[in-house]
Amino acid sequence: MIGAGHAGCEAAHASARLGAKTALVTINLDLVGQMSCNPAIGGVAKGHMVREIDALGGVMGIVADRTGIQFRLLNRSRGPAVQSPRCQSDRAQYRVEMRSILEKTPGLSLQQAEVVELLIENGRVSGVELVDSRRLSARALVLTTGTFLNGLVHIGDHTFAAGRSGEMPAIRLAESVRRIGFRMGRLKTGTPPRLDARTIDFSQMERQYGDDPPVPFSFLTKRIEQPQIWCHIAYTNQQVHDSIRGNLDRSPLYSGKIEGTGPRYCPSIEDKVVKFPQKERHQLFLEPEGYDTYETYINGLSTSLPVDAQQAMLERIPGLEQVKMLRPGYAIEYDFVDPTELRANLETKRVAGLFHAGQINGTSGYEEAAGQGLVAGVNAAMHALGRESWVFTRDQGYVGVMIDDLVSRGAEEPYRMFTSRSEARLTLRMDTADRRLTETGRRLGLVQEDRFQAFRSRSAKVAAIVQAIEGVRVSVGSAVADRLADAGIGITGTTQVSALLKRPEFHVEHLRFVLPANAVEGVTDEELGVVLNDEKYAGYVSSQVEASKRAHAARKRVIPGDFDFASVSGLSAEQIEKLTLRRPETLSQAEAVSGMTPAAVNLLAVYLELGARRAARG
Amino acid sequence: MQSEMFEDTIVAVATPPGRGGIAIVRLSGRNALDIALACVPAGSRLGETPNRAVITDLVNPDLAGEILDRAVVTWFRAPKSYTGEDIVEFSVHGAPVVVDAALGVLLSLGARPATPGEFTLRAFLNGRIDLTQAEAVRDLVNAQTGHQARLAQRQLRGELSHRLQPLKERLLSLIVQLESTVEFVEDDLETESRAALVKELVSAAADLDALTASYRLGRLVADGFGVALVGRPNAGKSSLFNRLVRTERAIVTAMPGTTRDLVSEPVELEGIPVRLVDTAGLREAENEVEQIGVGRTRTAIVDADVVLVVIDGSLDSSDTVRALLDETRHATRVVALNKSDLGDPDPSLVEAIEDSGVSPVSVSALSGEGVDEVRQAVVRAIGGSADLAPSGVLVTNARHHELLTRASKGMTAASVALSAGYSEEIALVGLHESLQSLGELTGETVIEDILGRIFATFCVGK
Ligand SMILES: Cc1cc2nc3c(=O)[nH]c(=O)nc-3n(C[C@H](O)[C@H](O)[C@H](O)COP(=O)(O)OP(=O)(O)OC[C@H]3O[C@@H](n4cnc5c(N)ncnc54)[C@H](O)[C@@H]3O)c2cc1C
Ligand SMILES: Nc1nc2c(ncn2[C@@H]2O[C@H](COP(=O)(O)OP(=O)(O)OP(=O)(O)O)[C@@H](O)[C@H]2O)c(=O)[nH]1
Ligand SMILES: [Mg+2]
Repeated sequence: MIGAGHAGCEAAHASARLGAKTALVTINLDLVGQMSCNPAIGGVAKGHMVREIDALGGVMGIVADRTGIQFRLLNRSRGPAVQSPRCQSDRAQYRVEMRSILEKTPGLSLQQAEVVELLIENGRVSGVELVDSRRLSARALVLTTGTFLNGLVHIGDHTFAAGRSGEMPAIRLAESVRRIGFRMGRLKTGTPPRLDARTIDFSQMERQYGDDPPVPFSFLTKRIEQPQIWCHIAYTNQQVHDSIRGNLDRSPLYSGKIEGTGPRYCPSIEDKVVKFPQKERHQLFLEPEGYDTYETYINGLSTSLPVDAQQAMLERIPGLEQVKMLRPGYAIEYDFVDPTELRANLETKRVAGLFHAGQINGTSGYEEAAGQGLVAGVNAAMHALGRESWVFTRDQGYVGVMIDDLVSRGAEEPYRMFTSRSEARLTLRMDTADRRLTETGRRLGLVQEDRFQAFRSRSAKVAAIVQAIEGVRVSVGSAVADRLADAGIGITGTTQVSALLKRPEFHVEHLRFVLPANAVEGVTDEELGVVLNDEKYAGYVSSQVEASKRAHAARKRVIPGDFDFASVSGLSAEQIEKLTLRRPETLSQAEAVSGMTPAAVNLLAVYLELGARRAARG
Repeated sequence: MQSEMFEDTIVAVATPPGRGGIAIVRLSGRNALDIALACVPAGSRLGETPNRAVITDLVNPDLAGEILDRAVVTWFRAPKSYTGEDIVEFSVHGAPVVVDAALGVLLSLGARPATPGEFTLRAFLNGRIDLTQAEAVRDLVNAQTGHQARLAQRQLRGELSHRLQPLKERLLSLIVQLESTVEFVEDDLETESRAALVKELVSAAADLDALTASYRLGRLVADGFGVALVGRPNAGKSSLFNRLVRTERAIVTAMPGTTRDLVSEPVELEGIPVRLVDTAGLREAENEVEQIGVGRTRTAIVDADVVLVVIDGSLDSSDTVRALLDETRHATRVVALNKSDLGDPDPSLVEAIEDSGVSPVSVSALSGEGVDEVRQAVVRAIGGSADLAPSGVLVTNARHHELLTRASKGMTAASVALSAGYSEEIALVGLHESLQSLGELTGETVIEDILGRIFATFCVGK
């Protein structure tokens, strides 16, 4: 495993758990699991992925639960499918906790070194060369180098090579990767300045509290014990915007110095001010970086302006008149490898045994990286152990959606997960990640006994509630009906409880008094919620499930890796060229290639079938 | 054994479009028999023996079993069928109205319109036909492409897609509003109120419905309306026919019984495509040839969308007129009182016509006077030029109709969900379904496009 970022940590842990002898090699062992940007885990769709990683036996959820300093469940007022946990983390503790879990993982060894060369023999990996010329041999490699490949930091017109601010870049390794012949591109991202809390006047800002009690990420976490802090909300104003506009010519974003494509969902403050000139103010969150530090993260103010311009804009924000900047914000450009170079198991098509995961695949975000890391780690281990590879499918969760999107469509800008990327959003709830994945994790060898037992007991309790609801009725005039009426849930005559569950006003607390006391005893709100949520979505889900089943069946029509598109007479030269370049693995992926007509897809289907029959005849 | 390859059941008219005597509607897929059984009365022998034709009523289960047609239905059991799947073939009467209704029922029962060449493709993929030679395969696909192109050209002409574009835009902006609130909870977005969204949804759905409602009309327009000229011999039908088609297409003589067979000619009346049919005059037939001719006239009356009754104002008696009007009583009619150049007709004649609820149009096929009025009366009878194509676009194709219906259903479901206080992601199920349906007509909108719009509309992200 090359790189101990969020992808690398998850990959190394998974690989070792599967029983493969695993080494995690990284540039700096003090920075294992370092959060490059915002010290926060989760968010809509991202929190879902953390739950999926956790349900499979991954580590991110547990580390986040142990080191979170403020938890909030997002979209609380909306439906269960779009609710998602998020937490602010203690950046330093997160690193420590992650490293400690990895150190305790049997079969995993951590090593500090810079990898400079991927060793390949006859199209398969054989190991790596380190900067001090040592060689490590390996049957499988997972490359998770984040923003480090040819990383270039911009602050105003000042640029310097770095993997992240203050860390060395990976230049020789980038060259080694390029030599393999991968299609590569350049992306860009940025981060805001960090401030000294002692120089901030919080009295001019709104306080933002976390949830009480906090909702954890991990299915194994019973309660979040550590004390919770609060954040603050501040706003920019016209003076701030004027100051930014006055310095735009010194921003590398606008002077044309930065070539890489940045994420549109994570715009710099320069972009916000330029693209939305009518907006009078932009919201900012001031988030403590941890319990033991005054360092404060200012969320919403990502910038690559020169340091003096950053200071000038900060001072115009109410509450920050006296602020002292600890670190400036910056933008970073880096190389990534076109993810259509990968198979669905995240192995590269060009080199057997070489896997890519994380930001190197054009994604952005810790959770996205961790999800890929887990899949790549499992498959690298499978490869090394001679076992069959595993594909995380779209219908199993957001991690599957992400990987399928990446390997079939590529990444034009840094890819971030959104719930709308799934065609079956209602089926991918955070409270059902275990139901979707824990048995798979068990089969893979990732899920250990304690987690599996917890899963079983939870499933049994949920099943018991489903049974308990069956046949229970409520009649007008009964005490239960009166309590329901108080909650705005009116009924007429006698009603099946199962019918009431669908009402938008019906919540878990109502289930508690509608059902007999012995049925709900010892059942948590979350477990009751699973039943309730299933019921609320039942009608809508069935149509979505139908559609996704159909999509899945179609996806099963696989295109062999050595398929010669040029042999398909009837395809246009342009279609052949694009297909050969993209190397789709399935018919549906082929369909997504630009310029493919339905007739061309049918034609491909015909040839694939011909090939399969020929193969069957021997 | 059913093929595992395909989940869905497809349907299409297997005979060439047009007004042949019989049309074959073919259903193929794992649910073919179930779907077929749902639209024949219980107790029919369908499904008992494969390959045996059964004569049965075809009913619409939605409309309390309204009978659509008497059809010959044959079930071919998988894998011994053309496609290798269960197939049910319905031989129905070829009139477009009947074929459409049959298709509509099968679609509503869960079948999906087949894409061009899909039956052959399934046949091949299920191993029923063996195409080992690449050349043959290419021919197959080229044939599909050609067919597709023709189909697209004829039925879509880009107009529908063009007309749908603004609707799709409205739908997209609704989706963008709702998706942003779901995906970017932490941003302070200035989104529309729920009430405003519901209002916009209802109005967009209504626009879509108006378009969908043009389907029947559109279908007729695409094939051309049938207008038959019917009357006693020598009334001047052929003369009027020639006036309307503006050529001497039909033979005119002073001898009664000149026209013996149907003469049909396409023509545009005020921009509406019409197939004008001249017929043999109605009278007691004197010989076999004439008998056949009169029989055909009667068929033409049934088939026609509008019957143009031609009366000889100088000669016909009110009794003959009554008999004629009785014979055509089920049709939409225009009555032309011909030979106005010979003087005013007997008032008893006019009275007889007005008794039947129509006022006659006075015309002289000889001089041409009143021909424009006849033309306008026919157009009015077809549907009234005013409500023909209110938007300039008519839906003419069953697949399009189905997609539009689905799109509208999705919007309605979403507005119901929103106004009942359901959460955004539920309303979005309907909206995305709607978008997907419109997308099949106008080009797909992928999620990247939607995200792109979100980023362009709102300042989101930190
Ligand atoms: C300035 C900045 C701003 C960002 N802003 C955002 C944001 O706003 N939103 C967002 O979602 N995400 C943001 N990110 C991205 C997020 O941090 C990454 O997506 C995530 O950390 C990627 O995880 P990873 O495991 O792929 O790589 P990283 O976390 O970057 O880890 C890479 C690891 O590889 C190691 N490594 C690299 N080269 C070598 C080598 N040759 N030999 C050995 N080890 C090596 C490094 O030491 C490091 O441990 C930002 C990143 C940066 C740097
Ligand atoms: N004066 C006068 N004669 C007409 C008019 N229309 C038709 N005729 C004459 O009536 C005779 C019959 O005309 P056709 O058009 O052949 O009549 P038809 O109804 O087609 O007759 P069949 O085909 O025999 O049924 C011809 O001699 C025409 O010239 C008219 O408006 N005025
Ligand atoms: Mg005639």
